[in-house]
Amino acid sequence: MNIEITDLTRRFGRTKAVAGVDLEAGPGVFGLLGPNGAGKTTLLRVMATVLPPTSGRLRLLDRDPGAYGPRREIRRRLGYLPQNLGYYPGFTVCEFVEYFALLKDMPAARVPAAVAAAVERVDLGVKAKAKLRTLSGGMLRRVGIAQAIVNEPELLLLDEPTAGLDPEQRVQFRALLRDLGQRATVVVSTHLVEDVGAACTEVALMDQGKVVFHGTPGELTARGTDGGTGDAPLERGYTAVLAQARLAQAQS
Amino acid sequence: MTDPSLTGRSDAGRSDAGRSDAGRADTGLDGVDLDRVWIGVAAQVWRREPGWLERLAGRLLRSPALARALLTTPSLLLPWLIASIAVLAAGAAATLGTGQPVAPLLAPAVAAAGIAYAYGPGIDPAWELARSMAVSDRMVLLVRALAVFAVDAALGIVACAASGAALGITFGWLIPMTAVSALALAAATVARSANVGVAAGLGGWAITILGGQAATGKFTVAVQGSVLVLPYLVFAAACLAAVLYASRVSKGTS
Repeated sequence: MNIEITDLTRRFGRTKAVAGVDLEAGPGVFGLLGPNGAGKTTLLRVMATVLPPTSGRLRLLDRDPGAYGPRREIRRRLGYLPQNLGYYPGFTVCEFVEYFALLKDMPAARVPAAVAAAVERVDLGVKAKAKLRTLSGGMLRRVGIAQAIVNEPELLLLDEPTAGLDPEQRVQFRALLRDLGQRATVVVSTHLVEDVGAACTEVALMDQGKVVFHGTPGELTARGTDGGTGDAPLERGYTAVLAQARLAQAQS
Repeated sequence: MTDPSLTGRSDAGRSDAGRSDAGRADTGLDGVDLDRVWIGVAAQVWRREPGWLERLAGRLLRSPALARALLTTPSLLLPWLIASIAVLAAGAAATLGTGQPVAPLLAPAVAAAGIAYAYGPGIDPAWELARSMAVSDRMVLLVRALAVFAVDAALGIVACAASGAALGITFGWLIPMTAVSALALAAATVARSANVGVAAGLGGWAITILGGQAATGKFTVAVQGSVLVLPYLVFAAACLAAVLYASRVSKGTS
């Protein structure tokens, strides 16, 4: 298993952003669904080793991220796209991707080819030498994806990767996800259920810091047959599970 | 978003390369992986050649990543350096005109501001991303802070020498500069804001100068009083300990 999480909690003061999550994931595309404020981004930040857990057990790529050496090894094999990608406006696309390839400790000799391949994979070849300040929001998102995949990560964490992409780009991106998921564990946090239906082999649904559903997109769809609202079957499953979880929460 | 392994080509540069198999056969390209060839070409065309300074820093630091991070330090970029030189030049001119050691009094403030703006969530837009990298953000912070300190110290020495300040005074301010820079760094790191770091550094230094003036009647006691050397050093060490504590990644439980 590339991700092993047991009873993981992350607090911010009195607020429990992640409240006792258990999760396991191997190679494949794993969708993390949930409404705003469900704890998806915090969980992703913990998995990206940006935030330490308050309590619980976390193992990534069969290593303990709490210790310096293993954490560095994890980070070499990690790709992360934060929800809000900060960028250096004066950098070109290639310079930005190259900078993070170097910070990922890639051998310098391998970096130019890896940068070219990553930029090509997100279809930004024609903008390779363009300054980031000249790019649109969708292009910047693709630059973020390029830096995340430049080291061919074994664990790829993407927070709202399709935000700002047009429909054609989203379709292409899902194909890229499926390809990446053949070798790596790809975790995609999103609130767009159609992305999950099209690209994910497994899905977890979070609400109020907890995982309230874990299964396949088909199983989530099946939960919506006797309830739930929405235009698509997966949306009905999503809303039905959320409604059941909130009812159970209210009753307890 | 195009995966070369899944599709043909995406941009003009590769459109020729992606032509039909018949075309490949005509030109004897059977068995050639044109996607791979294109990536090789693009890698050469798009490659950025590091300058001599970056190559030198890479050798000294044994890390091309740290060298690149060093050269992207916001407070080592040309506009900031020009501003620092202008402030210290004005201080040197004031020292020459008034006979007061204005340049040594200004140098710690300039360094404090520069160090607060060396790194961190308040100034580095990709800070969250950088926190997930194998080359630790603490190393980047350390390398940048040392570099800014060294550059500002060198500029301060030049300004003091140019204004004819005595060597004793010239080197007397290096220790207060260390303390003020450490304070700025600690405040910026703990508060996660470069502006808070600048405010703490400048505020702390102003209080020190005014406190010395109130006690002795002289502004210059802050850089001339040898009795302050030990408190400055202890204070700097405490601030650096705070930086190390604030920038740690706690182990949590695993």
